[in-house]
Amino acid sequence: MKSIKRSLRLVTIIILAFIAGMIMLVLKIQKEAGFYISHSDTAELGLVYDRNGDVLFDSDASPNKYGNNYFIDVGNLIGDAKGQMTNTLVAKNIEKLNNYSFSWGLVSNGGKSSIHTSLDHYANRIVYDSFGSSKGCAVAYDYTTGEILVCTSLPSLDVTKGYSGIADFETGTLISKVMYGTVPGSTQKVSTLLSAFQIMGRDKLFSKSYTCEGVYMNKGGNEIDCHNSYGHGTQNIQQAFQNSCNPFFAQLVEDNDMPLDKIIKCYEKMGYAVNGEKEQYFDINGIKCDRASTTLTDSYDFNTQWGCIGQGKTLVSPMQLMMWQSGIVNESGKMTMPYLIKYTTNVEGEIGDWAETSFSEEVFTPQSAVEVKNIMLENGKNYSESISGYTLGIKSGTAQIKDGEEENSLLVGFIVDERHPIAFCVLLENKDNSDTRSENIVKAMLDALCN
Amino acid sequence: MEKTGKTKYIFSAIFVLIAHIAMLVTMSHNGNYASPGKLIVLSLAVILLDIAYFIAMLFFRQTTYTIDFMLIFILNISLIFQSSFGGIELSVKHLLTCIASLVACRLGYMLCCDHKWLQTKKKPFYIASGIIMLSILTLTGSRSMWIDLGFFTLQPSEFLKPAFILVCTTYVAEQQNKIKFWKFNIVPENLICTAFIILICGLQWWCRDLGSLPTFVAIYLCGLCARLCYPKAKLSKKLIITGIALIGVLAVIAIILAPPYVKARLFVDIWSDSSGDGYQQSRALIAIANGGWFGKGAGKGDLHNIFAYDTDIVFASICEEWGLFFAVMVIAVILIMLACPLVNPPRSYFHATLATGVCSAFVVQMALNIFGSCNMIPFTGVTLPFISQGGSSMVTCGFMMGMIIAGQSPVFKNPVAGSKKNKKRKRVKAE
Repeated sequence: MKSIKRSLRLVTIIILAFIAGMIMLVLKIQKEAGFYISHSDTAELGLVYDRNGDVLFDSDASPNKYGNNYFIDVGNLIGDAKGQMTNTLVAKNIEKLNNYSFSWGLVSNGGKSSIHTSLDHYANRIVYDSFGSSKGCAVAYDYTTGEILVCTSLPSLDVTKGYSGIADFETGTLISKVMYGTVPGSTQKVSTLLSAFQIMGRDKLFSKSYTCEGVYMNKGGNEIDCHNSYGHGTQNIQQAFQNSCNPFFAQLVEDNDMPLDKIIKCYEKMGYAVNGEKEQYFDINGIKCDRASTTLTDSYDFNTQWGCIGQGKTLVSPMQLMMWQSGIVNESGKMTMPYLIKYTTNVEGEIGDWAETSFSEEVFTPQSAVEVKNIMLENGKNYSESISGYTLGIKSGTAQIKDGEEENSLLVGFIVDERHPIAFCVLLENKDNSDTRSENIVKAMLDALCN
Repeated sequence: MEKTGKTKYIFSAIFVLIAHIAMLVTMSHNGNYASPGKLIVLSLAVILLDIAYFIAMLFFRQTTYTIDFMLIFILNISLIFQSSFGGIELSVKHLLTCIASLVACRLGYMLCCDHKWLQTKKKPFYIASGIIMLSILTLTGSRSMWIDLGFFTLQPSEFLKPAFILVCTTYVAEQQNKIKFWKFNIVPENLICTAFIILICGLQWWCRDLGSLPTFVAIYLCGLCARLCYPKAKLSKKLIITGIALIGVLAVIAIILAPPYVKARLFVDIWSDSSGDGYQQSRALIAIANGGWFGKGAGKGDLHNIFAYDTDIVFASICEEWGLFFAVMVIAVILIMLACPLVNPPRSYFHATLATGVCSAFVVQMALNIFGSCNMIPFTGVTLPFISQGGSSMVTCGFMMGMIIAGQSPVFKNPVAGSKKNKKRKRVKAE
């Protein structure tokens, strides 16, 4: 009898193990049912709103319901559920929009599932319009909280019109360029400057001066051109940054006090994938955003020097450029992590998923952040006319693309204003054929957000 | 049958009948049927099968009919399910397999009643298992698991399950018969069983039916555990740990050497490959989500458009039309059937071992089917006992349930002193 009981214990264990599995299954289904339904053809999706309650996505939207091109400024960021765009807010968070609950099934009318974003649709539209016929992208966020306020990318599409003629869409229509790497031009000098402060320290860096004669023959025997062909003369770091002087930065990279291995370390700490490291991404509410990448092989190497200046093989996404600004202006060396979703509501209207402000690890030292902030604020005074009314820290950049056939204009920076703590990045493509300037876009953006 | 026994029998029968009628009434209100006639035919089939079984059971006088009532309860629920997927219409094929399952149950019961007699029949079981394995090798198509008989197909590996349980069970009593080989005390019967499981593994590999492999391994391991529990049987902890480690190593090797199609199933992300390897599972999970707690209604599901909706992903089909709550309750009924030996302990160690083997086979198969189709473990494509469509599986399940009943019902009704028949029955009781 004892043996029988021992044997039956085995039966008990087997049955209990199965029951445990069934409980796990029921809990899993209960938890993930919304996700399963979001992959169904019969999903009933809720709405996406901006910070003021404007609708940014409606699965039943049509031009008649909202007007022509109502969603065009957020078309490739918010996206839709049709599967053509996969790196968008709706595509990545579709289960949160499900008007579905496991108890009540699909709720076609009266479901309250929604996503409330931090975007300001009004400002976003103004920024979009300020590009005119030009292309590019712009992004701005609150560097104290991480709320993305503006994020637009051109060309874009009105998702209510569908995808007929998709083959004729312009390149880049279906992606938000804010999230993808681009040649940063001289905005890269912010990274090099941060590295220089960390490697040399303030006093030594300010003691350095180099001469620019328009062209610099580097120690590797290659010419580094300056945008000012007459040269900037002898400058210190403050002047060189304001002049955006390429020969100065090339000589800085060659300096023995600025060893390449230390530059690489600083860059890697900032998040760069250096010398072909595996590509990395960071996540903004599920949306994949490129991390920066560059190639640095030898201090005297032409491409390495250009990499530190912002050409060569360096690629940085506008989002990443903007995020570094937060670490500078906050004087902490820690980036404020951006987010788009402030909160969500479920099918019964209950609020959940409240966004919380978070910060990265220290990507550069607070001391270097303070120094770079001061230099950028000093540089910002040069924009007091074109972007008037703001205490501005800024760095411009001109990036040559398509083998120098086209030039993109970039502006990254921040404003020091307790009520409007905004960091931004604007990319204007093919600036020479553009009917606007990047300063105008920044001005329009800040005016829309601050006034 | 005594008066109280008769009352219990009648009330149990009425309970089962009412439960089935309740389901049929629900279908009439909330089901999807082309004409009332189809529902009436199904209702008649269910009720008549119930009544016929209740009457037939009277010829098998037992002291307990718990599992029998649950068996007819679950089989007719299964018939209702299989007749409602995608639209209500009696599934004649499933009705026939349900009847076959009931008959097989009786056969299993009769075979396993007398354990002393049964334990003398080791060789026939070895031979039977060998014949089944040989039939897999020779009669199935090109490395397939099916024997095509024209009007229906057989899956011989299903029949191997009860045969293997019997093989594992009949050797338990031989544990004391050890022979000294070099420094080890060896039980020859254990070696035979191990040889069997190795052969079965090879065979399953050969006929690409790796889904059933965990079931056989579970039966074997339960047989091995029964050896540990056997009176006076001793096995050192060192040996047990070595055995477990060996199983782990073999599992890892099996995964490494697994064919590409198996590996694809092991590591598939069903949502990123929802039109390829993850198609059935993703559709199954969507169907479960669509069904919610209480289902869309009988015949109102969409999963019947997906391959194997009535076999491999039948749990999801039930969830979609009847709801997760009902599906879990049905699984609970099967579990209660398996747990009956815990309440009414088997009358011999042989029957306890039998119950352990059957329980492991059922539970592993249910786990493979349910958890596999719901993407908790790799999808193997095995049937859900008593629920999935498939004659071989239904007959085997019925037979194995008969094995449990045999351990449950040792005492026959009203032994009348003096009669020859009852003298024999008394002997059985004494055992």
